[in-house]
Amino acid sequence: MDVLLSGQLLIAALVTGSIYALVAVGLNLIYGTMRMLNVAHGDLAMIGAYVAFWMFSLFGLSPFLSLFLAMALSALLAAIFYHFIFKRVMASSKLLDRAEANSLLVFFGIAVILQNGTAALFTTNPRGFQYLDQVLQIGNAAITANRLVTLILSLILVVAVVAFFRFTLVGLALRALIQNRTASQIVGINIERIFLYSFMLGFALSGLAGGLVSMYEQIWPFMGFPYTIAAFVIIILGGLGNLFGSLAAGMILGVLETFGIAITGPNFRSILIYGVLILVLLLRPQGLFGGKRVVAR
Amino acid sequence: MTSVFKELKGLNGVVALVLVAAVLFWPALASDYLIGFGILLLMWVAYTESWIVLSGLTGYFSFGHVVFAGLGGYLMAALWLVWPEEIEIAGVVIGGVQVWASMLVSAAAAAVLALVVGYPCLRVRGPYFVILTFGVAELVKFIVINIEAGLSKSGRLMLGGPDTYTLYYLMGSLALAAFLLAYFVSRSRFGAGLRAIREDEDAAETMGIPVTRYKLTAFVLSAIIPGVVGALYVLRGGYFEPLQVFDPKVSLTMICMAIMGGSDDARGPLFGVVFLSVLSEILWAKFPLIYQILVGLVLITFVLGAPDGIWGRIVQATRRRAAGAVAR
Repeated sequence: MDVLLSGQLLIAALVTGSIYALVAVGLNLIYGTMRMLNVAHGDLAMIGAYVAFWMFSLFGLSPFLSLFLAMALSALLAAIFYHFIFKRVMASSKLLDRAEANSLLVFFGIAVILQNGTAALFTTNPRGFQYLDQVLQIGNAAITANRLVTLILSLILVVAVVAFFRFTLVGLALRALIQNRTASQIVGINIERIFLYSFMLGFALSGLAGGLVSMYEQIWPFMGFPYTIAAFVIIILGGLGNLFGSLAAGMILGVLETFGIAITGPNFRSILIYGVLILVLLLRPQGLFGGKRVVAR
Repeated sequence: MTSVFKELKGLNGVVALVLVAAVLFWPALASDYLIGFGILLLMWVAYTESWIVLSGLTGYFSFGHVVFAGLGGYLMAALWLVWPEEIEIAGVVIGGVQVWASMLVSAAAAAVLALVVGYPCLRVRGPYFVILTFGVAELVKFIVINIEAGLSKSGRLMLGGPDTYTLYYLMGSLALAAFLLAYFVSRSRFGAGLRAIREDEDAAETMGIPVTRYKLTAFVLSAIIPGVVGALYVLRGGYFEPLQVFDPKVSLTMICMAIMGGSDDARGPLFGVVFLSVLSEILWAKFPLIYQILVGLVLITFVLGAPDGIWGRIVQATRRRAAGAVAR
């Protein structure tokens, strides 16, 4: 019981939650605008983690600088995938008819290529590096500096992204697109450009999250999948297209996971996560913070 | 039925006959390794044909079909050596109870699970259904893992299972049953109703199609055979390990095979199964990474270039040729 109240777990939960929120906001952008099941989302975090790792190991570059590189590479991959694959999917009514099936398969193909490509290049050995790992004392809880930085940076970034889409014209266009694709096209929104932007920004956020994670966790080519799953749970929990909901739901999942494991044991982590996912999908498919409108399609 | 016999005249009949003969006589001609490969092929046919009964026809895309196989496998392992070796019904002694009794239990359990899970899940549409089925399969997997951990079992060894030939013909029967199921459902009034649900569920309901009952029936029908296949799969390996038997890759492979082959007709999946299985057999052992990357590329190419699958392409080509012949 002491552990539960000490604040140690709360800090761990907040760090996990903030990273989850960062990954999930990106997924929500892509899913919300394009309605595609991006099962490769967590693998971009893996790519970002590898960028940070190699930049640090080879050139001694601080992860905070290579974060930009990780974002740029992820965004570049997004642009490439968009131009060569998803533009064609979005243009074909036949493919869009079964968008969830087709996007699932295409993104799965991308995920497999990224994972195994990385494994072929860098082997499947887990890797890691030490950066900012001195322990700080906050009250009676201890936290490593890199975790603290991760927490602060992710929160700032998520809030910045949420604010950007709330207060700018592009953000307005994107939210309109999430609500109604046809209508936003009619009022003159360049939906192709919004697709591209949201795709690039979504991937970049995931790559960024991976770069942050690499400072304090071991990385390997297949590390992305748990993040993908967590991100899906969060965007369903927080509501489709609801970016602020993703932030809140990310924190909720972080707390639920950390405290849940502390109370019941690590074996129950997955039961907990999938249990939450199923319950929300069955009881409140519009998400915890959604209105009454049920999102059927 | 008469229409089926009409269909079996000509090319279709010849191909069907050759296929059935090939499956029947394969064990007599092939090496142990190739018989094992045959079992795998038949297993994937049974899985994929079952999957299209729900997902190909209704468009409700199940991403968790492995859960039925896993449940069947788990029951087979848990009930192993629980049954008596043979029973006597009306003076006739029947052996092999270990196998077929558990097969029946697996089938029934898969049907019940589909019924229980299907009713709430099938109210959720589109991507939500995809994620939901995946979540249910993973949840059941981790529940089984925790049960096994609670019983302090790390895997279950099953000795004295049926030999390869028996397994081969059992799997063959399941593959045939699944094919016929998909074939007859897709040509029935019921199948037409399922396709109507895929095209526009609200319109289908307005037309008087009992959508809930149809969807649930399709779900249960598509679950039963995978349940039994899972039971046989565990017997083939002689070992039960939840992470392997509930592996989400199985669900994914079913989907890939169905999409590559074509999921609107019972003949489509056969092409996808053979294509992916042969590719995997050639490359998997020697170049696992290259194989995976290749599968990723092939998947993307198929979705973009041949969304109706190999069979869809064949149908298109023959139609075009027929149209050309008429024009001439």
